[in-house]
Amino acid sequence: MPDYSLGIDIGGTFTDIVIFDHESGRQYSRKILTTHQNPAEAVIEGAGDLLRRNSLSARDVRRVVHATTLFTNALIERKGATTGMITTEGFRDVLEIGRERKYDLYDIGIMNPTPLVPRNLRREVPERTRSDGSIMTQLDIAALEREIDFLAGADVRSVAVAFLHSYANPRHEDQAAEVILKRAPGMYVTRSHEVACEIREYDRMSTAVANAYVKPLAGKYIDEISHKLVDLGITTPLLLMLSNGGLTHAEEAKRVPVQMLESGPAAGALAAGHFGLADGENMLLAFDMGGTTAKLSVVENGEPLIAYTFEAARQRRFIEGSGLPIRISTVELIEIGAGGGSIARKDEIGLLKVGPESAGSEPGPVCYGRGGVAPTVTDANFDLGALNPATFAGGTVPIDVGAAKAALAELGNSLGLDDAKAASGIYDIVNENMAAAARVHIAERGRDPASYSLLCTGGGGPVHGYQVARKLGIKRLICPPDAGVASALGLIIAPIRADRAATIGFRLRDHDLALLERALVDLQEKATQMIRDAGIKSEVSIHRFADGRFVGQGFDLVVPLPPGPYDQSDGDVRAELKSAFEQSYREKFSRTPPDIAIEFINVRVSVRASVSGNTVTPVSGGKATKNRGASRPVFFPDAGKYLDARVFRRDELKMGTSYDGPALVEEDGSTLVVGPEASFKVVPSNNIVVTIF
Amino acid sequence: MGTKELNAVAIEVLWTRIISAVDEAAKVIVRTSFSTLSNEANDFACVLTDECGNSLAQNTGSIPSFIGTLPATVKHFLAKFGAEKMQPGDVFVTNDPWKGTGHLNDISLVKPIFRNGVLVAFAATTSHVPDIGGRIRSIEPREVFEEGFHIPLMRFISAGKPDDTLIELLRENVRTPDQTTGDVWAQVGAIDLIEKRILGMMREHDLTDLRGLAAELFSRSERAMREAIEALPDGIYRYEITTDGVESPLSFKLALTIEGGELELDYAGTSPQQPRAINCVYAYTFAMSIYALKCSLLPNLPNNEGILRAVKVRAPEGSVLNPVFPVAVGARAATGHYVPVLVFGALHQIIPDRVMAAPGSPLWILTLSGVRTDGKPYANVLFFNGGTGGRASGDGVSCLSWPSNISSTPVEVSEHNDPLFIHYKRLRANSGGAGEFRGGLGQDILLESTSATDIQAVFMTERTRIPAPGLGGGNPGGLGEVWINDKLVNNRVQHILKTGDRILMRTPGGGGYNSSATRTKAQNEIDRELGYVE
Repeated sequence: MPDYSLGIDIGGTFTDIVIFDHESGRQYSRKILTTHQNPAEAVIEGAGDLLRRNSLSARDVRRVVHATTLFTNALIERKGATTGMITTEGFRDVLEIGRERKYDLYDIGIMNPTPLVPRNLRREVPERTRSDGSIMTQLDIAALEREIDFLAGADVRSVAVAFLHSYANPRHEDQAAEVILKRAPGMYVTRSHEVACEIREYDRMSTAVANAYVKPLAGKYIDEISHKLVDLGITTPLLLMLSNGGLTHAEEAKRVPVQMLESGPAAGALAAGHFGLADGENMLLAFDMGGTTAKLSVVENGEPLIAYTFEAARQRRFIEGSGLPIRISTVELIEIGAGGGSIARKDEIGLLKVGPESAGSEPGPVCYGRGGVAPTVTDANFDLGALNPATFAGGTVPIDVGAAKAALAELGNSLGLDDAKAASGIYDIVNENMAAAARVHIAERGRDPASYSLLCTGGGGPVHGYQVARKLGIKRLICPPDAGVASALGLIIAPIRADRAATIGFRLRDHDLALLERALVDLQEKATQMIRDAGIKSEVSIHRFADGRFVGQGFDLVVPLPPGPYDQSDGDVRAELKSAFEQSYREKFSRTPPDIAIEFINVRVSVRASVSGNTVTPVSGGKATKNRGASRPVFFPDAGKYLDARVFRRDELKMGTSYDGPALVEEDGSTLVVGPEASFKVVPSNNIVVTIF
Repeated sequence: MGTKELNAVAIEVLWTRIISAVDEAAKVIVRTSFSTLSNEANDFACVLTDECGNSLAQNTGSIPSFIGTLPATVKHFLAKFGAEKMQPGDVFVTNDPWKGTGHLNDISLVKPIFRNGVLVAFAATTSHVPDIGGRIRSIEPREVFEEGFHIPLMRFISAGKPDDTLIELLRENVRTPDQTTGDVWAQVGAIDLIEKRILGMMREHDLTDLRGLAAELFSRSERAMREAIEALPDGIYRYEITTDGVESPLSFKLALTIEGGELELDYAGTSPQQPRAINCVYAYTFAMSIYALKCSLLPNLPNNEGILRAVKVRAPEGSVLNPVFPVAVGARAATGHYVPVLVFGALHQIIPDRVMAAPGSPLWILTLSGVRTDGKPYANVLFFNGGTGGRASGDGVSCLSWPSNISSTPVEVSEHNDPLFIHYKRLRANSGGAGEFRGGLGQDILLESTSATDIQAVFMTERTRIPAPGLGGGNPGGLGEVWINDKLVNNRVQHILKTGDRILMRTPGGGGYNSSATRTKAQNEIDRELGYVE
């Protein structure tokens, strides 16, 4: 029986559609311009077209998985709904005051992000819950009704309810939500404890408000795409990718759409883990370099590392702390202003700088001939011979190498360099920038970059991977086939997943273990229910975590806990929990923990289940390696000169082929550069593995 | 440098590598230190200097207090011990306020780096430790002896062997022996990493020393700073302010001289040092001066020795901006944070677009200490920020830490951890100085003690008598106020809080920029509509 999976990823520019045939291992993909007015249009057109052209029956599509940047972009472009906020009397300004820190120390013109809800739409009502969850002041219903009338009168369509200490007792938020729905039917309501059930009022409010801001848009879009897929003949329920690499069902995504903000990159990181595991690689640094940015994420044992904070809509894209804090679980990745379009320039002390400013795709690099005048990384790559004008982007983009050389020469002159030095300098500097970011990122985990393998994807990953790896002391590169749709593959292999958190302030030494167990079981039940609601009946796996800290310290550390249940009568449980925390502590801080009482501020549960049949074994590549003997000169910084590099077409490489560098492996979306001090081999997983001597 | 040519590419690549080494070391400190000031407020620095103690790079997020202080500390070690007496595996230590960063709470470590037996560089760090002994931080001390344990310039590790005597003395003299010594070891981890990375880079690029690179970097950065200064008209620009003071107001004076591509800041005429802890040692005065200049002239260039060469900073010995041993210095920020205001005030006369009006700082600090019901003593430090000043690009920012960079504790966390109830935390209408571009607003926070036992409250609060001035005809920001139980109180003395007593902290607003007569009608309407102005 045919068995297809459909993956959909709506990006800012392109919508990617991929259909995977689980029987044959074949993959059909289509890239289509995103239709911003009505994003469902491109999806349906693309999917319908793929099905028709390949004579695939919609009935045989057994799962549909969707990722999107629509909601992220709505936050960046401020195109969400008019949103209001209801909060505890005395605290409406928390959203505007924020963290009180500068994200840039030296900028006289520094601006905080404008709050998503302006001050006049942030309304206060008398009510108060204490930090232990007890109610001090009852919710003033009459006052709430007045404020709701005010907001409704101000054309507010979506409201965030965020009360102090609602993580400890959600009663007032629940009560307020009921009143709002009664008073203003049709209003979208977000309760802060349902999106981020965690202590720290600013972060929770910011998350709730962001959710409220995109909720109407998400509801409308998800309903529409669900209906249109049915019209197309696809009846299996839609699953949506979360920022942490798990899947959820449509109702959950509509309820808490902020969970989807990083769904695209999450799919990419999952795919990276999949490709790495195929080659038995447990420690991966996933390196995805595109036109504007490079993204780096750490994947260990096939699982992307997860962070529990995220920032949306930064004032300055590459500066931490300049955005809206969002407390969701998300794949941990860093974004660097280093891509093919990154612009090279002379800085204020006469040094060559590359990025983070980018020529993007419009006007693009000088060699595109679309009006770009500043030399970019891509221009340098053509000048150095790393890219082939005839085969670039499958030959669809005419390349003017002469124009690139002229722009490089001009920049080189201003710096006292000849144009070859300008190009090799750009290549070297952009690689150093990416290596520097990777080093600092990995240092946060207390690890050494040399212990990882580098997995290269995106148009630029394979071009720059060899030199970046050398700078990091990394000895192994993995380059999966057809990197362009790699991230869509992540959609197809993802498990369904629900993560829930709660603040409990549990002191390990003397609090009642039953409290901890009850809190965890409660989260497990909620999370499992979400998975059952999605129609998934397979067995679930449950993972317990806690945000632990030493009493009195400001930071906390998310640590995996032993599986439950924790039985009060079992004297070993406390010791096991303590040693779980201490082990993570030692890993992170490289030293013995002090003898101070431990507190679990938050507990977290992650429940996962595999979506049946979502295994993927791609077909292997070319039947025969036709060594056409082609070669061209390419500049290698490690050799300091041009060397003759053998050129291969990837789709003509036979499994098992190996070759010593210098060499190039070309495919439509990218070119793998193998330096003189390395060799490559096509392995059975169909990845190319490069070993650096 | 070896045989390779040091061109615009090679320097950039090597410099990026050095900056990433100190940034990587900074992550080690964030990851491994106990002090929340280090791991949340970036109250630390990592530096690489050349073999003479000239700074090549400083970690990216390091707060302004440390600009130029660590390289100066390295030079003090060189002067005391001599390069020839240093050996591989040595680590030097001090917290001398005059040779370090201005107060005892910052411990600085310095490690000489050798390549093939030759001294090529120093790795240095400084970090605010959780406790250094002495009195709970306040402005009360009269002498530095009251402020904690003093470590003179000495070896912490001698050719790989730690000084156990020093460690034992340190442990015995602080309230948090594990955390304080733990943080010193965190710093050792950071400088070891810098050493490893720099030696790796030198091997990879076949460098025998860093002299060529240092010379190029310094001369290029110096040139950029000179060019920025040359673009300004020669002259002497004066500015002065008066601040709260303790018994009587303090006077701060600056003469900023620009001549021949050089810039001199002279604080002659500033009030004499005070018999309280608000004295600001020269190293901190220097750091704050350079910080303000960098904001105005070269905001994007990473810190290094070259940018300092065209600038001179003078402060009369015995003044509050250059006090002499053994005066107390623990609350240096209460004075030092006024320094950038002077620099901007002077520069405003020639580059009004590149400065901002005075912010509602220095940073406010409230220390609450007492005994918990279980009999255990505790001390809790809370930070509060006012608004920043207006600037040519727009209104000041409300409630933003400046020039330091310290968050306030979330309300829920305070209530969870401490016997406190917080009634409100809100923007303070009308506290921004009026102007074409209004000052940022301060905030009102009402705290109530829920402790069954008494709490001692110690304030370090400024601008409660003299507000943040405006620039170009802008009005001053709102005065800060401290109230207890509906009465304005003297913020210079300790207060005892009983259960149910309430403290209202009203932080100062920033000064306005240009006359409010030129503010647009639309902006005034928005201020009214949103309640920033009532």
